[in-house]
Amino acid sequence: MLRSIKPKGWKIALYLCIPVIWYVFSVFVPLITAVFYSFFEWKGGPKKTFIGLDNYISLIKDGTFWQSFGHNIYLVIACIIGQVGIAFIFVLIVNSRLVKLKGIHRTFGFFPSTISAVCIGFIWTMIYDYKRGILNWFLTATGHGDSVQVWLNNPKLVMFLVAIPLVWQFIGYYMVILLSAISSVDTEIFEVAELDGANAFQRAIYIVLPLIKNTLLVCITLCVAGNMKAFDHIFTMTEGGPGTSSMVMAMYGYKISFAQMNMGYGSAISVGIFIVSLVVIGGSQKLVNLLMQGKGVE
Amino acid sequence: MAQMEEIKGSYTTADKVKRGILGFFLNALMIIFSASCIFPLIWMFYSSLKTKRVFNADIIGLPTAPTIENYIKIMTNQDYHIGQSMVASVRTTVLSLFFIVLFGFIVGYILSRIKFKGNRILYVMFLMGMLIPVHSLLVPIYVVFNKTGLGNQWFTLVIPYVAFGLPMAVFLVEGFIKAIPVELEEAAAIDGSSFTRTLFSIILPVAKPILVTIAIIQVFSCWNEFSFALVLIKDVRLQTVPLAMTMFKGQFASDYPKIMSAMLTTMAPIVVLYFIFSKQIIKGMVAGAVKG
Repeated sequence: MLRSIKPKGWKIALYLCIPVIWYVFSVFVPLITAVFYSFFEWKGGPKKTFIGLDNYISLIKDGTFWQSFGHNIYLVIACIIGQVGIAFIFVLIVNSRLVKLKGIHRTFGFFPSTISAVCIGFIWTMIYDYKRGILNWFLTATGHGDSVQVWLNNPKLVMFLVAIPLVWQFIGYYMVILLSAISSVDTEIFEVAELDGANAFQRAIYIVLPLIKNTLLVCITLCVAGNMKAFDHIFTMTEGGPGTSSMVMAMYGYKISFAQMNMGYGSAISVGIFIVSLVVIGGSQKLVNLLMQGKGVE
Repeated sequence: MAQMEEIKGSYTTADKVKRGILGFFLNALMIIFSASCIFPLIWMFYSSLKTKRVFNADIIGLPTAPTIENYIKIMTNQDYHIGQSMVASVRTTVLSLFFIVLFGFIVGYILSRIKFKGNRILYVMFLMGMLIPVHSLLVPIYVVFNKTGLGNQWFTLVIPYVAFGLPMAVFLVEGFIKAIPVELEEAAAIDGSSFTRTLFSIILPVAKPILVTIAIIQVFSCWNEFSFALVLIKDVRLQTVPLAMTMFKGQFASDYPKIMSAMLTTMAPIVVLYFIFSKQIIKGMVAGAVKG
């Protein structure tokens, strides 16, 4: 902290006022507004009726909301296993002396994470397309013509199919984060371990994993937070359909508020998303900390 | 190390073959992954040079008679709003970046260096901004912006983008400033430099690397942001790129080559930026993700 020169209070206030007002206006004011309107029955028009906690009671009983929540959790788990897990394996592969073209893998692998979800969604809709999709083209070409179908219309498969693009888009992102964590570790450690007769699997579990523990934790947190707010990909690919088989929380809140203009209930859903996400994000961090401590390495 | 060499030398032929095969498979796996990341871009590019009829007949083959007809159509037809959406995106991104970097710098500096009542409160407030799931704000922000008449204006999107970009910027700057010795400002103060002057002509140049990192992260998130644009913008002339692409996709659902050409055109600035500065961009994004 500065001691010898303390700028005047009004000057500091002057510097802080615009950013702070700007920030409070766009983050906290909407939050409070949402809580306020969640106590009303309000269809977006001038008429509002105070109904107390009725919106919240319907929210707790709302099967679709909890189904959407389940889908968010599904995505979180799919992405932790798919993105962070695969990225971890790729990091081990790229880091081994046998593999060439590290720079290329890094640049190309990272690329999809810089593209907008709208583009990614479009590319994958093209892959899944019935008439002109690459997947069906491939199935026909390899003689599996009978399994050709309208992929995104299959309620049983749709969550799996929308999870693939999400996982694929960010593998490279996590790979690069983990690579940079490993590159700060002295390579001699790996050589010594190899000399001591540790095989590749043992090295991965007992040496690499503990060394990049903190970075892995960051990755998992990013994964959880990122998938609790999943919206863009779902919106461009399925809009939550068919029916509600790929509905996620943000998508449901959007549909209720803007397609049905049920702003009161939409606000209650927003508050619900807020609480549920905080619980999941906080809980997952506790859990990860616990698991990591249980390992007892380092 | 000598021991290491010895062991390497003692590999039997069978070991070498085994390593060779393993190496081949690992390399192949990584090459397939990298190719899958870049292939959609290449496929979209050559497919956008086909006409709709040619594409529908053969989705994967190279175009036999490449044509830029699709590009001419999307750029000349004003009803498609392609050029317009790019202007809107550039304007929104540049303005958001400017304010995020400026505010992030000022707030981050003050929070890390100056003791005053409420310093910690502000700190926690910005910390909360990183934890708040912004997507729970989609509906309420629409309500607030509609009530106050801030919705659907040319500057509308700058407001949430700056607010949501600010917490990370504040923390990156705060962490960075902490590592700079205080003597720098004390010396400046002794020389009679005012607070404002010290802030902008002494600290700013020192903090440039972190400000560049912040700008890099935010370029991508502002350019690609979709959900707030969807909720807050109604006027087609104010649509940013992701929003315009969604509408365009709906309008020409069956004309894939045309959609691809529009996607590629609107992606171009970001793709070019990425491949020119990929090293710095990757470095910046990683630093932001880990420290933020």
